[in-house]
Amino acid sequence: MTAPLSFDVHRPRALTEALDLLDEYGATARVIAGGTDLLPKLRNGRLSPEHLVSLGRVGELDGIEETGDGALVIGAATRLFDVQRHPLVRKRLPALHHACSVMATVQIRNMGTVAGNLANGSPCADTSAPLLVYGATLEVARRDGHREIPVGAFHKGPGSVDLASGELIVAIRVPPVPAGSGSAYQRISARSRVDMAAAGVAGLVTLDGDGRVAEARIGLSAVSPTPTRCPEAESLLTGQVPDAPLLERAAREAAEEAKPIDDVRATAAYRRHVVFVMANRVLTTCVARASAGAGGGTP
Amino acid sequence: MSTPPIIGARIPQLGAREKVTGQAVYTDDMKLPGMLYGAILRSPHAHARIKRIDTSKARALPGVKDVVTGDDTLKVAYGNWRLVPDIQDEYVLAVDKVRYVGDEVAAVCALDADTARRACELIEVEYEVLPAVFSVEEALAEGAPTIRAEKPGNLSLTREIEYGGVDEAFTRAEYVREDTFRVPTVSHAYLEPCSALAAPDEGGRVTLWTSTQTPYIVQVLLAKTLGLPENHVRVIKPQVGGGFGGKMELRTWEFCAAFMALRTGRPVKFTLTRADELAYGRRRHAMVLRSKIGLTRDGVILAKDLDVLLDSGGYNAMGATATFLVGNFGAMLYRIPAYRYLGRYVYTNNPPASAMRGFGAPQALFAGECQLNMVAEELGIDPIELRIRNAMQAGDSVPGVATARTCGFREALEKVRDASGWVEKRARKRPGKGIGVAGCSFISGGVFNWFDTKYHFTSCEVRVFEDGTAHLLTMASDIGQGSDTVLRQILAAELGIDIHKIRLTAGDTAVTPKADLGTWGSRVTLMAGNAVLDAARKIKEMLAGVLFMEYDLNQIHDVAFAGDRVFVRAKPKRGMDFGECVYKALRGRRGEPLTAFGYYTPRDKGLVTPAFSFGAQVIEVEVDEDTGVVSVEQVHTAHDSGVPINTMAVEGQLEGSIHMGLGYALSEELITVEGRVRNATFLDYRIPAAEDMPPSASYEIVTRDPEGPYGAKEAGEGLVSPTAPAIAEAIWDAVGVRSDTLPITPQRVLEGLGKL
Repeated sequence: MTAPLSFDVHRPRALTEALDLLDEYGATARVIAGGTDLLPKLRNGRLSPEHLVSLGRVGELDGIEETGDGALVIGAATRLFDVQRHPLVRKRLPALHHACSVMATVQIRNMGTVAGNLANGSPCADTSAPLLVYGATLEVARRDGHREIPVGAFHKGPGSVDLASGELIVAIRVPPVPAGSGSAYQRISARSRVDMAAAGVAGLVTLDGDGRVAEARIGLSAVSPTPTRCPEAESLLTGQVPDAPLLERAAREAAEEAKPIDDVRATAAYRRHVVFVMANRVLTTCVARASAGAGGGTP
Repeated sequence: MSTPPIIGARIPQLGAREKVTGQAVYTDDMKLPGMLYGAILRSPHAHARIKRIDTSKARALPGVKDVVTGDDTLKVAYGNWRLVPDIQDEYVLAVDKVRYVGDEVAAVCALDADTARRACELIEVEYEVLPAVFSVEEALAEGAPTIRAEKPGNLSLTREIEYGGVDEAFTRAEYVREDTFRVPTVSHAYLEPCSALAAPDEGGRVTLWTSTQTPYIVQVLLAKTLGLPENHVRVIKPQVGGGFGGKMELRTWEFCAAFMALRTGRPVKFTLTRADELAYGRRRHAMVLRSKIGLTRDGVILAKDLDVLLDSGGYNAMGATATFLVGNFGAMLYRIPAYRYLGRYVYTNNPPASAMRGFGAPQALFAGECQLNMVAEELGIDPIELRIRNAMQAGDSVPGVATARTCGFREALEKVRDASGWVEKRARKRPGKGIGVAGCSFISGGVFNWFDTKYHFTSCEVRVFEDGTAHLLTMASDIGQGSDTVLRQILAAELGIDIHKIRLTAGDTAVTPKADLGTWGSRVTLMAGNAVLDAARKIKEMLAGVLFMEYDLNQIHDVAFAGDRVFVRAKPKRGMDFGECVYKALRGRRGEPLTAFGYYTPRDKGLVTPAFSFGAQVIEVEVDEDTGVVSVEQVHTAHDSGVPINTMAVEGQLEGSIHMGLGYALSEELITVEGRVRNATFLDYRIPAAEDMPPSASYEIVTRDPEGPYGAKEAGEGLVSPTAPAIAEAIWDAVGVRSDTLPITPQRVLEGLGKL
């Protein structure tokens, strides 16, 4: 049953101040950025923190920067809408751009953040599969230290992530995509255009000078306890000419690697089937984009 | 006499600004001094005997002011069907047994809502869990547990219709087919969850503000369950955020608010959550419909045999009406010379179903219209042509039911055929694209007096004043559909005054004239509209004499009311302002106010309704054959609602109907496992979002129904029915998959394609 909603809200103006607060209050504190996942949990009693530390005034966490090596660093408080419309994201990270365009609702995208999408720990987080194939890392800070976690190691299980009390995701670092690569993301909700994903598939394919696959990465969301890569399907592609039959075989392999469940949103059988369908479509798009030499730029 | 321009005008709802800016007051917005907050303890079991309830710990919790259980009440069985007391099977709080997960067992009121909820958790209930049944088939099976002692075997109600020699007609049929359809239970998903606030009034009386469609019904049943004279109970309907049939009965929180307000001497408020509504609230009936139809080779319907099992859930609620209406809708739209219907209303341990928009028509027409589309395929006749060959026409009677005095069905079919490019699109197949059709018909208010009201079906009072304004008092309930605007349009048209000069008081059983049965069955425009006409015409009689005196008129003259003036029709310059006319009449009456009552009761109009609406809908879809996802691309609707009083309001009803029909067709279902709803959130109970709404074109087929005010018929419910069967047909046209089950999820499409 619902507990009374009672907590203190802290609105630090600097990252160090935020980290001090998180350190002080430890497990009794939760971070709030957009609040789109947190507020429902507060209201239905699944979380009852004593302190909320808001990132709303921590300006240094808001925004996207390009580093000298060409990586994009997405500040933890950057809104999904701002990620989606950023010209470099649009150009270089079309899978992430697409995820941020179609997930949830306009209202949620105007408030929510990529970091929050990941920290919520849901296996169906839309940004997780694109960030997996882009090889992103999370920069996590605490009062007296700093560490980096590959996005693939961050999710521990449904609702569970590698983030200790006192720690804060500061940014998501997306390394430069390799030359000659193309990437894409598709998701399906199956019931409405506005819905949580029943399955999501991201792909990144890099072609060598001969038109063979130098490297393939396939990321899945909503079809296993954590967002996951598909090593078998990826190795099927590596070194091969990515013709339609091969892509279809790889897509079938990816579907085999999924570990979907039955729930009220879709059956496991349906999810496995659409992983195949979407993986096939995503890989086809990735190869087309890689061949076009657009570096995966968005259409 | 020409129709005044305000009839058929596009007028935004009066009061829309207040709603949009948050000024409009809904029940949960209200706070009274000293108000207590209520909470309900519900059964965790689908079927159990209550052995013992201990409320002592709850009572001891600081802040708790009252705790009640069934033992504190009069234990009066109640329900909307007062005409047949045997059907009244519900108690305000469980007596001895619980019959579904969520059945109300006890209630608490406390200084704040959290304390009330915590107190509920402290109530100890010892249950003896009983075997339960969750489908109509299980419930009817030999040896099934009895849910209500009076109905061993769980068959609560039966309705049969038979005419025209069905068996003989089938022997003459050159083509016969039989199909079984299954439709799920779905939620009204009204925006405003139920809320009720009661305050004690002097002399042991009580006032209840409640989110209801039927203040009069709530007043009567509340008085009965409280053991008070009806006149001790005042029910007020504030603004209501939708009902769709889900707010037309006395409900436990309404009783408990009033009961505990009387016991504690303080106001008490209950407000449900969305999760409460989805998990335990009223819902549309799940049904299994077996339909057999016989035709000539040319597609002329000879006979139909419809057998329907309705899932009641744990109580009857409005089930008797559902059982009655499914049978009627099964015989609507087409000339069916021989018809047999058997409807069986079956108790289960699911949450009780009740009235919901279309009430029996969405189910009956999903079965009937899908089946007719299958017939068209097999006989090689275009589905629209097949419908035209059999379409009802004005003057046709459905035996024992009613006569359709106006009927624009054929015109509606022709209109959507031509406007949609149907012929070409059906002929030229494009991969993944499909187009489908279905028809609809609905009642304009019910005739059958199940509530057994002793009053007129609807009543109003009109007062006019020397400042040129009027006051309309009506118990008709605007629950968001716009009747407060439409009734004022009718009064403005009759009195010839500006609509903004009409004050309206509605839905207060102590103030507005007795009585009105409420908002359901698409009855308000026709019935309450006719009452307004009646009262307005009486007022006009009082005013006309002023002109005859003033101008010494010859008896043959008529008086007209328009432009805020009253004048001699043949000599418009002879006249005066409306207010001046009222002033002079008032002088002549030596100060007695000008006021008139108006009434309407349908008499000699068969068993069902005084007028039927008709419509036809063509829908275009695109189906992704790999994912099974259906996108609705375009809707074309032609609609005979008589003469629309407010064109904008009719369009709003159409858009809302498409929205609801779209969800019914493709995504909505309360997934209920052993009586427990598994998707009791809007995240997992999928009503379509704004982005899912397709483009829509609509066409009014205007008929002038002699019974309706200015020729108006219903517009609120009929259109909710054709969308699902039209989409089903379009999916078949696109990818060759027929679904006899709703919703047609991507899973079902892929199963139909053999891909899963």
